[in-house]
Amino acid sequence: MRNVDDLIRKALTRRKFMVGAGSVAALSAVGCSHNFQPQTTPTNPVTTLTDADYLNFALNLEYLEASYYLIAATGTGLSAADMGTGAASVTGGAQVPFTSAIQQEYAYEIAQDELNHVRFLRSALGSSAVPMPAIDLVNSFNAAASAAGIGSSFDPFASFDAFLVGAFVFEDVGVTAYNGAAPLLTSTTYLGAAAGIMAVEAYHAGEVRSLILQAGTAYVGYANQISALRATLGGGNETALSATTVVACNPTNALAYARTPSQVLNIVYATGDGNATSGGFFPSGLNGNITSTIG
Amino acid sequence: MATTETLILDEVIASSRRRMFTMGGAALAGLVFGSTTKANAQTTLTDTDYLNFALNLEYLEAEFYTLASVGETIDQIGIGIGAGTAMTGGGTVTVKPSGVASCKVPFAIPAVASYATEIASEEQKHVTFLRGALGASAVAQPNIDLYHSFNTAAAAAGIGPSFDPFASDVNFLLGSYIFEDVGVTAYHGAAGLLTSKTNLGAAASILAVEAYHAGLIRTVLWGLDQATPAAGIAAITVKISNLRAALDGTNDDDIGLTKVQDSLNGTTANYTASTIVNADSNTIAFSRTTQQVLNIVYASTTGAKGGFFPNGLNGNIS
Repeated sequence: MRNVDDLIRKALTRRKFMVGAGSVAALSAVGCSHNFQPQTTPTNPVTTLTDADYLNFALNLEYLEASYYLIAATGTGLSAADMGTGAASVTGGAQVPFTSAIQQEYAYEIAQDELNHVRFLRSALGSSAVPMPAIDLVNSFNAAASAAGIGSSFDPFASFDAFLVGAFVFEDVGVTAYNGAAPLLTSTTYLGAAAGIMAVEAYHAGEVRSLILQAGTAYVGYANQISALRATLGGGNETALSATTVVACNPTNALAYARTPSQVLNIVYATGDGNATSGGFFPSGLNGNITSTIG
Repeated sequence: MATTETLILDEVIASSRRRMFTMGGAALAGLVFGSTTKANAQTTLTDTDYLNFALNLEYLEAEFYTLASVGETIDQIGIGIGAGTAMTGGGTVTVKPSGVASCKVPFAIPAVASYATEIASEEQKHVTFLRGALGASAVAQPNIDLYHSFNTAAAAAGIGPSFDPFASDVNFLLGSYIFEDVGVTAYHGAAGLLTSKTNLGAAASILAVEAYHAGLIRTVLWGLDQATPAAGIAAITVKISNLRAALDGTNDDDIGLTKVQDSLNGTTANYTASTIVNADSNTIAFSRTTQQVLNIVYASTTGAKGGFFPNGLNGNIS
């Protein structure tokens, strides 16, 4: 249990990074999603963050993904035992009206996968695991749709094809988040786990991107509008989806993209402000020590 | 990306120190966190060795996809296969008797043809990237067999006496299936062994791309299987997965395309789910040691050279 003790010790002594979160959060939650600025290269405060901080950062993202897929698949989200003490709630979402068994089986699989990631990270973090933060699956998608130029609203729970576009919002981001965090981890064990979870997110991304191609040009168009928005918020790092570009990677060397935590936060907070601590999918911000887009 | 490549080269040169990988610590950590990362007993290998190991696998993948998409080998389209920066001097590629050009798959599904073109391009770039990163240390392409290897694998897996991955859309996808999940497990296993963070970042980024490929290939195969169940496509992937798991000695680290019963957020396993993702019970992708990967690409439970690499890999991991 050496590593667990080490983790807990680090968790108890880590420095806090939330600075003035409250007021900025309040501002950011109101309409900042329409004022996107190109993301400047953020400086990541790597020297003061521990492995536990990065795993908790990942756990927040897994809460989001698990909530999205579980609600889409079954109509209900994470059980109380999987959210942690003091967990906030999820706004919105509904079971997708699947029209075939294969659609449902895809959704069930990914939902179980993301739930397993939540459980794995919570188990690895033990008492250091942060509870689920408040998650918004309504206003977030509407704001993203508006900012991306898709329309004034977007309901990813309305149909299987819409659900795929909602999934598209998350999966490539998950890959870039884990890819960016992997070299920052000090524990080889955590590195192995993070790389293994990243691979699964990439399996999902390859799956979702190919299924969107099957859904037709309208949905490919939506996905690429989302991709363009993510590029604006997350420092580029995007590959538009087409029949010959299913994989999101650097066109020069075919290496997958990596994003810093700040770049990932800009995307999930849906803001290019550069100093946000909440917004978008996380109206009260992430839980843990990585919460601010201030690099 | 020249900057990144230069950085990686610098790191490779700088990190001449031997990797000190403590099996005890890794084993303990694996127990505590249920990680699939396996302890690797090789204590004297450098980042260069692992990158060259990866380069061998990328040569294999690039040759397969390039042959499938355009009916040429990678040296024919201008990619170096010699040692160091030499364009020539690499090993040969054995293909079916009808020749290299006949390996261009007669695609009937335009989307599959597009996927072949894309994956070929990406695997070619991985070869070029790794050769650039390794510079003078890059190993030449070893001899590669894409004919007898598939026939032997088909027989061993119980699929039939022969298998031509270049014969049709489905066969091409099944041939791809053989490689991509292995690439994922190989990079996953190697990632934790690299000493340079730059090399690690590159390996993780290639790992992700291999997983994108695997997700794509498995999704397309599953869709075809569900559309035409009588073809038994999914059953073949299960046989391939079982063969890989048998070759690497675990018998339980590879999941073919099938249906499973999940509990999701309930307590009863009554949700029928697909298995597009190939991962363990924590849904963390499987990881293989270099020896386990060698067993698979050599098609030998003892690691004897053969299979896709009749004369073995080039470099210090062979």
